[in-house]
Amino acid sequence: MILATLLLMLQLKVPDAAQFVGAPQGRPLAGQELLLRTDQVGSLLRCPVCQGMSVADSRAEMAVNMKGQVRELLERGYTEEQILQYFELSYGQFVLLKPKFEGVTSMVWLLPAIALLLGAAIVYFTLRKLSKAPPAPVAPQPEDEYMARVRDLVSGEKS
Amino acid sequence: MNRTVLLVGIVISAVLVGILSVGLGKNPNEIRSPLIGKPAPSFALKEVGTGRTVDVADFKGKPVVVNFWATWCGPCWEEHPVLVANARMMQPNVQFLGVVFQDTEEKILSFLQQRGSAYPTVVDEKGKTAIAYGVGGVPETFFIDRNGVIVAKYNGPMNADAIRAHLDKVMR
Repeated sequence: MILATLLLMLQLKVPDAAQFVGAPQGRPLAGQELLLRTDQVGSLLRCPVCQGMSVADSRAEMAVNMKGQVRELLERGYTEEQILQYFELSYGQFVLLKPKFEGVTSMVWLLPAIALLLGAAIVYFTLRKLSKAPPAPVAPQPEDEYMARVRDLVSGEKS
Repeated sequence: MNRTVLLVGIVISAVLVGILSVGLGKNPNEIRSPLIGKPAPSFALKEVGTGRTVDVADFKGKPVVVNFWATWCGPCWEEHPVLVANARMMQPNVQFLGVVFQDTEEKILSFLQQRGSAYPTVVDEKGKTAIAYGVGGVPETFFIDRNGVIVAKYNGPMNADAIRAHLDKVMR
């Protein structure tokens, strides 16, 4: 029975990272360092079934599986770059919480800066225009009827 | 100044409406996977019920439909009869294969006994195969051509029309 289980386990095969990103290019991690790096790398990956949560933060089974895979790859000596590349090859750039500065996604980085510069330019030119404009002439105020009567009365008393 | 502001507003709105209309016009089930056009990740997993190993490489030479599902997923119940009917109809020209993850063998077996089965179903322990295929939620279906290259990916429950349309692509 044990032999049959062992034979079956030997036959089973899951897709290997080497198939996608080649041999490990780092050093195998263990212990506390492995746990720390698993959390660090997991925090860079998006949980595909959650709303904007990282693999490190989510308790969803899919995220737990992905975190387990990150841990296993770090244990085998894969670098952070290789691990992110492995997940990107399966899920696309969507899985990276920090989008790459390339193609359309570069807009994610550029648009806020462009919007800020545009806003600053609008404020600057509006203020400059306002400061250069001559002060609006003060229109003569029509005299209040009551005040006119008061003035007449006062001037009559004086004379 | 007011005219300039209006013009800039119109241009920005037009660009946003254009981007949205392109995005909304797409079929949300037809998500472009980075694996399309690439060799399907190889795997050999344990078949539910028999315990034998099913290697996807053994099916090379004929188109393969790999369906990721789970018994706790409602839409998977909905598409199951469609997949079974099409598998029966297309055999032996097309190989269907079910890959179940985040589930127990007992529940899978009970599901298949109650609802019927026409193709092998394997268990993906720890979801490693699902991760290699970029599976987010179930059901997701991959169409692999006879050379072992992924031709299409479908997200969500498959209906008869969607299966036929995708099988046409994979049979070419």
